Amino acid sequence: MEDRPHKAHRPAQSGAKVEKKGKGKEKQRGFNEKAFAPKSGRRAERLGRRTAEKDQTRLHVPLVDRTPDDEPPPVIVAVVGPPGVGKSILMKSLVRRYTKQTMNDIRGPVTIVSGKKRRITFIECNSDLNSMIDVGKVADLVLLLIDGSYGFEMETFEFLNILQAHGFPKVIGVLTHLDLIKKATTLRATKKALKKRFWTEIYQGAKLFYLSGVINGRYPDTEILNLTRFISVMKFRPLVFRNSHPYLLADRFEDLTPREEIRLSRGKCDRNVTLYGYLRGTNLRLGSKVHVPGVGDLDIKSVQALGDPCPLPDADSERRRKLSERKKLLVHAPMSDVGGVMYDKDAVWINVPGSFTRGQTNVPQGEGEEMVMDLQDAPETLEDIVTRSKIRLLGSSSKSLTVDPSSSRTTRHDSSDSDESSFEDEDASGLEDADEPSDLGNGSDGDWEEGPSTGCSGRTTARTQQRPTLAAGRDNGPDEDDGNIAFADSDSDMGDGPRGNRVADDDESDVESLPSGEDEDEDEGMDQGNGDVPRWKVNLVDRAKDFISSSRPARRDWTKLIYSSDLSPRAIISSSSLDPQAADDDTPDDDDDFFRPMKAGKSAEKDEEAPDMSKLAIDEEELKGWDDEEMLDSIRHLFITGGNAPGDTNSDDEGDDAASEDDGSDDDANPDPEAAKAAALAEKKAELKRKFDEQYDDPESSKYATFYDEQKDALARQQALNRAEFADVDTETRTAVEGFRPGQYVRIELDDVPAEMVLHFNPHRPLIVGGLLAAEERLGYVQVRIKRHRWHTRTLKTNDPLIFSLGWRRFQTVPIFSLDDHSIRMRMLKYTPEHMHCYATFYGPVSLPNTGFCAFTSLASATSSFRIAATGVVLDVDRSSKIVKKLKLTGAPFKIFKNTAFVRDMFSSALEVAKFEGANIRTVSGIRGQIKKALPKPDGAFRATFEDKVLMSDIIFLRAWYSIEPRKFYNPVTSALLAPGSEWAGMRLTGQVRHEKGLAAPKAVNSAYKPIERPGRRFNPLRIPRNLQAALPYASKPRTMKPQKRQTYLQKRAVVMEPEEKKALAVMQQIRAVRKEQVRKRKEKQGERREKKRKEAEKVEGRKEEKRREEKKESMRLAGIKNKREEEELGRGRKRRKVSS
Amino acid sequence: MAIPTSLLHYSGHSHLRQRLVLSVLSGKPLKIDKIRPNDSNPGLRDYEVSLLRLLEKVTNGTVIEISLTGTAILVKPGIIAGGPVIHDCPLSRSMGYFLEPVIMLAPFSKKPLNLTLRGITTDEKDLSVDLIRTVTLPHLELFGVSDGLELRIKKRGAQPLGGGEVQFLCPIVKQVKTLNFVEAGKIKRIRGIAHAVRVSPQFSNRMIEACRSVVNRYIPDVYLYSDVYKGEDSGKSPGYALSLLAESTTSALHCAEAVSRPGVAPEDVALEASRLLLSEIQRGGCVDRKHQPLILLLMVLGSEDVGRCRMSSPTERTVQFLRDVRDAFGTSFKITPADKTNSSSTDLLYSCYGTGYINANRTIA
Repeated sequence: MEDRPHKAHRPAQSGAKVEKKGKGKEKQRGFNEKAFAPKSGRRAERLGRRTAEKDQTRLHVPLVDRTPDDEPPPVIVAVVGPPGVGKSILMKSLVRRYTKQTMNDIRGPVTIVSGKKRRITFIECNSDLNSMIDVGKVADLVLLLIDGSYGFEMETFEFLNILQAHGFPKVIGVLTHLDLIKKATTLRATKKALKKRFWTEIYQGAKLFYLSGVINGRYPDTEILNLTRFISVMKFRPLVFRNSHPYLLADRFEDLTPREEIRLSRGKCDRNVTLYGYLRGTNLRLGSKVHVPGVGDLDIKSVQALGDPCPLPDADSERRRKLSERKKLLVHAPMSDVGGVMYDKDAVWINVPGSFTRGQTNVPQGEGEEMVMDLQDAPETLEDIVTRSKIRLLGSSSKSLTVDPSSSRTTRHDSSDSDESSFEDEDASGLEDADEPSDLGNGSDGDWEEGPSTGCSGRTTARTQQRPTLAAGRDNGPDEDDGNIAFADSDSDMGDGPRGNRVADDDESDVESLPSGEDEDEDEGMDQGNGDVPRWKVNLVDRAKDFISSSRPARRDWTKLIYSSDLSPRAIISSSSLDPQAADDDTPDDDDDFFRPMKAGKSAEKDEEAPDMSKLAIDEEELKGWDDEEMLDSIRHLFITGGNAPGDTNSDDEGDDAASEDDGSDDDANPDPEAAKAAALAEKKAELKRKFDEQYDDPESSKYATFYDEQKDALARQQALNRAEFADVDTETRTAVEGFRPGQYVRIELDDVPAEMVLHFNPHRPLIVGGLLAAEERLGYVQVRIKRHRWHTRTLKTNDPLIFSLGWRRFQTVPIFSLDDHSIRMRMLKYTPEHMHCYATFYGPVSLPNTGFCAFTSLASATSSFRIAATGVVLDVDRSSKIVKKLKLTGAPFKIFKNTAFVRDMFSSALEVAKFEGANIRTVSGIRGQIKKALPKPDGAFRATFEDKVLMSDIIFLRAWYSIEPRKFYNPVTSALLAPGSEWAGMRLTGQVRHEKGLAAPKAVNSAYKPIERPGRRFNPLRIPRNLQAALPYASKPRTMKPQKRQTYLQKRAVVMEPEEKKALAVMQQIRAVRKEQVRKRKEKQGERREKKRKEAEKVEGRKEEKRREEKKESMRLAGIKNKREEEELGRGRKRRKVSS
Repeated sequence: MAIPTSLLHYSGHSHLRQRLVLSVLSGKPLKIDKIRPNDSNPGLRDYEVSLLRLLEKVTNGTVIEISLTGTAILVKPGIIAGGPVIHDCPLSRSMGYFLEPVIMLAPFSKKPLNLTLRGITTDEKDLSVDLIRTVTLPHLELFGVSDGLELRIKKRGAQPLGGGEVQFLCPIVKQVKTLNFVEAGKIKRIRGIAHAVRVSPQFSNRMIEACRSVVNRYIPDVYLYSDVYKGEDSGKSPGYALSLLAESTTSALHCAEAVSRPGVAPEDVALEASRLLLSEIQRGGCVDRKHQPLILLLMVLGSEDVGRCRMSSPTERTVQFLRDVRDAFGTSFKITPADKTNSSSTDLLYSCYGTGYINANRTIA
């Protein structure tokens, strides 16, 4: 029977069923257009409206993207997940995919070039909450790792909520450990369940990747390849907060504090550190503070733009690129050991694997080897170069500076323990000897080479530039060096040299500097040609010509005059006015007023003469000039009636298009006026042509289709203007005007950094430098709209410390919760309401309104519950707060008239009463009244009137509002200063403190519950006077009767029964007795039966209980084994925090 | 490169107003010492103290410490609160002295400002209330501060006793717009207000006649209003003045003003005003010289885009202002000749990269 095969199913070949099936399939095929076509016009209209609405919801407010298009900073891709989920393996795999090299120990950010236009910085986020918060604030894309075999963990949800509070960057989910699920159906079900949950958390259709097992310590190459494809095409919408703040993810960190200072202070002194990284967000300006999360607010000491260590490929670099593997792919990860060079906290380690010989030039060397070889290649010591050099102290001095060997020796000793950054100095300029790297350069360097230049940007740029072009650099190194020594940089050329000359020549022209191009030419000519002619004699004729030409209405460099000269405004203005005499009059006055007797009269007069006034002093001379007809006619061309000016080539239509006209005039560098004129003409023609085309082709097309398009176009135009305006300006001016642009690799030097930051530096913690806006540097009362997170288990209490993550900062503060009470007052709440927003006010650093935040009660990783306590947004920033809490004053009446009562025990003095005169009061029973006036007799008693008569037993109360201010407590979370293994401890709750100290909560005597003793109330009988009683109508007369004194008949009669009656009574009694006995017996029996049944049931229950216990024991044993195995397998000590999905 | 510190430190009494404004806007504490140390009457003047008081009223949480001798002050700025404020100006300076800094601050306050000032409305040192109403406020409108911006002249008060009253209403903005004003255009109309208080109303007519004799040669579109205040509204002292403004095709405004002096005929006052206007027009640019600091400040406070404005060469005040701005906001201007082909033009193009200043005081509900 069993071995017989089952009969196979044969589908019907004909009949009704076939037809039915066929029809059904027919129906399902394709898209039935009729089904979705509107049946009526009205419906069609409604449908149209709906699609239009849907289209509108797809639009977002156009935001300006501040990242430059040409050289954008690398995209930050963060790898985030709970411990043991495979983050490091993913990092390794990704780096391997892009650079073709395996990094063993990835620490800190890794920057790689991923394409022609894109670089990526990968950063792994450890599962510390502080790190997750910081990474969430800077990441552009998050790879959120989820253990597929385990499910979602708390960290994942916490991180997603952090992201939500700080602007949501793009998120790609990555499921790992899927190979641990053996059964295909389970795998499918798990994937589906996890995807569903992930989608509800992010958005429907969010990308989720599946990574199967690990091969060779990496994920499978094809899967990683797919992942990187998604990463490389990812587009990013600018986030508001990051679009208004400059920031930097530091990928390198150096301590520049002098060693000696550290030694003397036993490592405890404040440090001077530099942080390196790509600038992102907006332009970084000098003069603003920065916040380093985990450290605090710091002042920037200096900023320098460095050469890009990981540049995008351009045509030139592509041409030079060799096929050798190392050169091909660039990776920048100074905190990890990449390329054999490791930048440690205070040194650079060069790792040379295996044997290393100098001679092999054909073998490609690592970066480190090249550096060492460069050091060895230096042909001479710095001392030699110095003695040979021809540096002159002044531009005009004919003798060059000479160095006395003995003196140089002493300088060297003095500066022997200065910062180790000098190490880089050397490898930059390349003239160094390998033995004493740090001491040689510094003392001497500072003296002349660095002095005049504004920053030492030259040296580090050189170093980093050298990296990619080492082969070329080695050949012509020394030559360049010579040049460097002789004439430091273009900075000093511009600054001191020529000005010195000019001073010797004539006083006036030192203000009017020449066009800088000519300057440089002149200098260069001199350098090459005549070495021994004094400088001022060179080109006398040329300069005379220059002077004459410049004494015409001068093209003065106002920028330089205002910003880089320290002339007084008066001197600047007066030298610009038409007669140069004025300047000569005034400036010497200013200059040599050393040791001059004070002319009291004059100074007083001057004071009064130059008060802070906005109208300018009237120049009588100038006004006189307007008497002249010619003068009057000379400005006719400035009026619409006046026609063109004589020299003005622009015709009337110049006003038509301002922007284009001006853009045209921007591209100068065209000294030939003819060519300029021609260019201008051509441009104007092109403009006219464009206008004509626009009108001719379609006059409507020039109008924007929608408001949205118009806005976008306005933004684009402004961006184009931004780019064009400073394109041709030199770097220094550009930095002064613009600040440092995003995309630049900068070095930020910070002063007074706590020593712990250096001592306990951990590259696994993200190191961020967040720029602060002017308003954000201050502290004040911040009002926020807050909502307790619905997954947080406890309500939040007013005046309990809470840790906020707001802006760049993480800090602990003490909020007061409040609610708006009918728009009249902000009323304090003791606890946050359930499922509702409320306000919170706290003292802390100011943030711009509309900034999101999230709050925590504790950042410790020990808790198993959801750590995000609340989320919200900043509403208002102020220096005072308006929160009130209710205060009820109670009193009791002591004398009552009709509607008036005298009340006492509410106040303690007449003065207090006077303060509250006219205030509304109320009794508990609801009778409203008003305070009238204080009474003289008992202190603090007053007269009050009510709308009705109050009772003596009424309690009278006054509802008042008492204003409270949040405590001025602000405690930044200094997580970056923690020693490894320690947890940050902020202010504790009172309960925690008591618990830790073993104290009991104090009990207020008045709060204790005692038995309530209410004295019984005695009511007096109603007495009506006799004459009043007599006057009452009969119906109302009180019916008062005297108690009867004599016994009534019924009381005093005797009862004698008949014999029959007696008998009957006896029989009745007997019957009753029998019945009683019967009932008693029945009850007894029933009790016995019940008892028996109960015992039986007990027995059964006992057996069942036994069985249950057995089962439980078994299951716990199994679970324990499983847990143990898992922990051993994944090698992690920490217990996972599973979330039921 | 020199890094500005977080404390603004200056010496001397000059440019007090702009320094206070920059300090409040940037939030950096301001310290000024050596205020007239060698004067026979050292220290702050009454109007300067009054200005500090006004600043205290307009802001919330500002701490002003004046040294015992009055030669040094320390201002720790709070937030700009706005709201209704009433202030009595001393008779040593006119209202313009107080209004100018307030105008710079008011758009960035928490609540719309409603400021009532009492005192002198017109004098020869500061902008008169007429010019502020007709010229300064339109300049603010270039930056998107427009809805509800108003200056009501309720009473006029001439020197020396004053008695005038104005009400200044200013809305708040989130961020000022970026200015791109490079085309000066040509003058298309001239307007003026001639006012006379406690003197014969004929005076203003005489001024108008005299002014017309100068400006009518250029343009027919000249309207000069005669504005006579009577009785209670005319203040406590007699006086008259002529305020002129010229508007170009691109609505660039130039203004000039002359105030009555004892012993000077109204005709001469009018001539002076007209000639001042002509020399202002001759200097060109899109912005009047008296308003350079205001425009430059609002350009600095704009969004993080390039703002450009064409102006004539800077005045002393402007030069110092540019330097102070660099101290407070760490930003500087690129100043280039506006017209590179035409060497005779002295106009300059001021361009800067806005700091992206957002009104942090504003409340969102």
